[in-house]
Amino acid sequence: MSTSARLITLLVAGISALAFAGPSSAQSGRDYVYVVGSSTVYPFATVVAERFGRGSEFKTPKIESTGSGGGLKLFCDGVGVDFPDVANASRAIKASEVETCAAHGVTEIVEVKIGYDGIVLANALGAPAMKLSRADIFMALAKEIPGKGEGELIANPYTTWNEVNPELPAIRIEVLGPPPTSGTRDAFVELAMEGGCKTVGWVKALKSTNKNQFKAICHTIREDGAFIEAGENDNLIVQKLQANPDAFGIFGFSFLDQNMEKVKGSLIDGVAPTFDDIAAGDYPVSRPLFFYVKKAHVDVIPGLRGFLREFTSERAWGEEGYLSDRGLIPMPDKERLTIAANVRDLKPLMLAEQ
Amino acid sequence: MQSTTLILLLALLATAAFFFGRGRSLSLVGGPGHGPALHSLPGYYGYFVAIWCVLPALLLMSGWMLLESRVVTALVIAGLPESYQLMPEGQLNLLINNIQNLASGDVVSVAVDESMQAAATELNGYLTKSRQLLAAFALGLACLGGALAWRRIDRDFRARNRVEAVVRWLLIGASSIAVLTTIGIVLSVLFEAIRFFQKVPATEFLFGTTWSPQTAIRADQVGSSGSFGAIPLFAGTMLITSIAMVIAVPIGLMTAIYLAEYSTTRVRGIAKPLLEVLAGIPTVVYGFFAALTVAPWLRSTGDSVGIAVSSESALAAGLVMGIMIIPLVSSLSDDAINAVPSAMRDGALGLGSTRSETMTKVILPAALPGIVGGILLAVSRAIGETMIVVMAAGLAANLTANPFEAVTTVTVQIVTLLVGDQEFDSAKTLAAFALGLMLFVVTLCLNVLGISVVRKYREQYD
Amino acid sequence: MSDTHSTAEKVAAGLGRRRRKEFVFRTLGMFATGVGILFLAVFFATLIGNGASAFKQTFMKLEVELSADIIAPGGELDLVYADFDGLTRAALRDKLPDASGRSQRREMYRLLSAGAGYQVRDFLKANPHTLGTTQTFWVPAASNVDMLMKGNIDATIDETLRPLSDRQIAWIRSLDEAGDLESRFNMALFTNGDSREPELAGIKGAMMGSLFMLLVTISLSFPIGVAAAIYLEEFAPKNRWSDLIEVNINNLAAVPSIVFGLLGLAVFINWMSLPRSAPLVGGLVLTLLTLPVIIIASRAAIKAVPPSIREAALGLGASQMQVVFHHVMPLAMPGMLTGTIIGMSRALGESAPLLMIGMVAFIVDVPTSFTDPASALPVQIYLWADSPERAFAERTSAAIIVLLAFLLLMNLAAVILRRRMERKW
Repeated sequence: MSTSARLITLLVAGISALAFAGPSSAQSGRDYVYVVGSSTVYPFATVVAERFGRGSEFKTPKIESTGSGGGLKLFCDGVGVDFPDVANASRAIKASEVETCAAHGVTEIVEVKIGYDGIVLANALGAPAMKLSRADIFMALAKEIPGKGEGELIANPYTTWNEVNPELPAIRIEVLGPPPTSGTRDAFVELAMEGGCKTVGWVKALKSTNKNQFKAICHTIREDGAFIEAGENDNLIVQKLQANPDAFGIFGFSFLDQNMEKVKGSLIDGVAPTFDDIAAGDYPVSRPLFFYVKKAHVDVIPGLRGFLREFTSERAWGEEGYLSDRGLIPMPDKERLTIAANVRDLKPLMLAEQ
Repeated sequence: MQSTTLILLLALLATAAFFFGRGRSLSLVGGPGHGPALHSLPGYYGYFVAIWCVLPALLLMSGWMLLESRVVTALVIAGLPESYQLMPEGQLNLLINNIQNLASGDVVSVAVDESMQAAATELNGYLTKSRQLLAAFALGLACLGGALAWRRIDRDFRARNRVEAVVRWLLIGASSIAVLTTIGIVLSVLFEAIRFFQKVPATEFLFGTTWSPQTAIRADQVGSSGSFGAIPLFAGTMLITSIAMVIAVPIGLMTAIYLAEYSTTRVRGIAKPLLEVLAGIPTVVYGFFAALTVAPWLRSTGDSVGIAVSSESALAAGLVMGIMIIPLVSSLSDDAINAVPSAMRDGALGLGSTRSETMTKVILPAALPGIVGGILLAVSRAIGETMIVVMAAGLAANLTANPFEAVTTVTVQIVTLLVGDQEFDSAKTLAAFALGLMLFVVTLCLNVLGISVVRKYREQYD
Repeated sequence: MSDTHSTAEKVAAGLGRRRRKEFVFRTLGMFATGVGILFLAVFFATLIGNGASAFKQTFMKLEVELSADIIAPGGELDLVYADFDGLTRAALRDKLPDASGRSQRREMYRLLSAGAGYQVRDFLKANPHTLGTTQTFWVPAASNVDMLMKGNIDATIDETLRPLSDRQIAWIRSLDEAGDLESRFNMALFTNGDSREPELAGIKGAMMGSLFMLLVTISLSFPIGVAAAIYLEEFAPKNRWSDLIEVNINNLAAVPSIVFGLLGLAVFINWMSLPRSAPLVGGLVLTLLTLPVIIIASRAAIKAVPPSIREAALGLGASQMQVVFHHVMPLAMPGMLTGTIIGMSRALGESAPLLMIGMVAFIVDVPTSFTDPASALPVQIYLWADSPERAFAERTSAAIIVLLAFLLLMNLAAVILRRRMERKW
């Protein structure tokens, strides 16, 4: 702890007449694991942390929900007790972030993929069930859609689902989704929207010729009120869906799993968002979740290695592990084995992989 | 020596100094009760000595602690082999960090070589020495200061004035913290805001009409460039604020009038604290109430009368915010109404006007500046309110005046931009600081205006 | 005939209208007051309706055989690695012998809380001599069992739509009929730290975090606030500096709290490099936040002390400092304390600035010092409200009830103090 911390602690302790345990030896090192990062990984990491804390002689890790970007920024700020040991992320680390890390001396980072999270498009249980294709999703939610002629773009004219696809019910398009700052949004755009976008021939052709324009078309969500940015509080979205049977919400599978009697997931490309189908890779919209560890901290911060072992143990992330109860979709057996081995050997991230 | 122990020792010394000083002053005049021969009360001599004993020592301690790490680091660097000293700044920093960690037995990120180990030992040695020196100096200074002060005591010594001068400086210091806080706020948002304005021109930020921070999350993802026109945010903030005011001002004002002029003391005694409870409910709680109870209710009511109400309408957030602000408006109006001299009230009543006439024609006009000032303060509270809008107002930056549609506010954007998944040094994150700066400036103007209106009015009757 | 007569007539003619107006005005006033109070009532009714059930929790009776083979394999008591869950599961198997096959057993084990094994372990730790005996435990049931017992899970809807299967519900019903399920007071809510298992989650950690923060806040903001108020009210010369200070204080009282969060992040964490999520930092931010409130209230209290008291003391030869500290301050103290309590209650309910300084964190261990990582009550509410498990919904309301109870107590104290203070000179 820094000097100023000690000064202030002393001041406070002095004034409060040493009422409490006092300033406690401020010099001692950190004796718990410090995790920061994504709010999507938070529900899973916290369960592991709690099991680990209760089951071992170590303290329970502290897990801060900062968002992937904020978490990686804290993570990359340096090596030492003042900095986090682990950063959770709902996306892979960026090359620029690896560089920032290296500039602050965080040179060896171990990347751990922990499983998949399905992203669902859900509506209230009483509302009609939807069978969507990714093309439907793209057409309904893109800011500009391809017009009749080749290369022509028109502002998205659709206001109801049946205008997008006559087989769909005639209800207003109203989708509650995460803001652009969210990793969930990023994954949704890339997996669902881009997938639908590619069904238009000339746009698909753009991907190889003009990648930037391709992404600009496929990744931009409309801003005229049909898509409502609803914050990251997924419980609120679920409750808003209940209150409004016409609305759809975009959120992680774990929330659907916990609210089965309130909302249901739409079928995408004919596949329902069920645990088995996501795990089998049939459901098209699912993304990997990660965490990153500082190699330099392992074996120095008490409990860090144990926490890693707990996270990568079969009883946690396995097919029937407790994380799957919380809605984390496990990776295939072989992949789990490889990653667990990598974690054991602390195999650092290679930038070339990026 | 631990600094805690040092502080305790100093406290002990100070107590002793107090009794020495007091004792000396008393012995000068031959014991208590011996007339007015001393300039000040004996206690003041005690305080004087105690202050001289503690204050210099404390100043020394704080200065020492602030400089300690810098000096020790410089010493350690000087002791390192030449090859290390020629390293670039950043690498050297890292090395020092590692040495420090090594010295305190924490994480080290590179392989430890001999010179590092030596440096760490050296560092620990310096630290221990520094602490010993500090303890010696501080205690010495305390004794010295106390002794000098003690010697200065004589019959005519103006101890009280000296002590009071010190107390006065302490009081001035305490009241200056407010100014320091303001400076701190400005500085903490200014630099990041300037960095933002280097990326996005200020005119675009202030006058642009599209807010869409959809910049790329990853470098390889181009998406849209993102536009940072803050007008929709200001408009959304103003929309929600106006709704809140439409609710809070009439209800708050009428409540104040009723409680001040009509209600019995008993009703007032019950209603006023109850309304204050409303003001004390945490905003996080209001937020959930707005999002989960009020918003769905508005939506279903809207549907039944054929109005399309968005599930995160500005109305829901504004309504709940209005309820939150009622007590603020009512208590400030109450103050203004009560400040009108009762001669005016009595005069109007004596001329035969009814109570409502007295109120609307005499008291309210007289109290109007105070009420307006209060409302301005309430507006600035509504603009800065965060949790209610974070939970109930949504994030869609629509430029609309329709209260049934979703809008977003400045505070919501600050929170989402700072706790999102995006890369941290992007224009998006910096935009949060620019917004924070705007928020501070706008509320500052409103507050200063409101305060000066209130104050000017008060002077009229005082 | 005369003018007076006609004036009286005019007045009389207008009287009815004026009285009606008066009545309308008065009714409007009553209505406005009523609206505020009505909202308060609705608010509390909703909250208590949602949260009251969280103070009860379903417990399950288990006869656990503390078999030495499992717990003390080498003759030595192994409290870390022994399979305590296995013990409680075996006990449940004895109660529900009809579960067959691995998947059915897994379903059955889900009725048990993850905390059951830890409860057995803690018991054994305290009573090592019970090794080898069979003991009766009342362990918390899994949150879904609790939800079913409280009627929050609809057993009539289709099996795939609810978190409990038909078989699990049948087991729960049979346990209930056998008297093995009991609803008891949920002590865990007050004695545990945060947890991801709703049945184990408690607010003690958050309460201690809030307490530490308030300790920092009160020990800094009360002396500083009172000192500043005294200076501004009694000593400050009328000059630019005093004006500046005064405008600043009044402005800071209305600066959005989130801006204070930005300040805390920049100054205390980035510049002073204090630890994140520490009550120390939270307390410092809240100090800056509450200082203006305390200063303004203290100034009002000082102002309310009549000048005659100052003049009398000055006349008897007291110095200005003595007048203030010996006479004005004791008389103004109740008012200052009221202001402090109000400031503290604002600090207790504040959450927006805490979001910026890393208090949004999962912290299980109850903090024991100013620099331990900690959460705070309002932040805990924010976090629980975002948890997917449905049992957290009622716990969120329960935490709100607890927070409001504290705030009400503080407000009550302030009201009582103010009653005392309302002293006519």
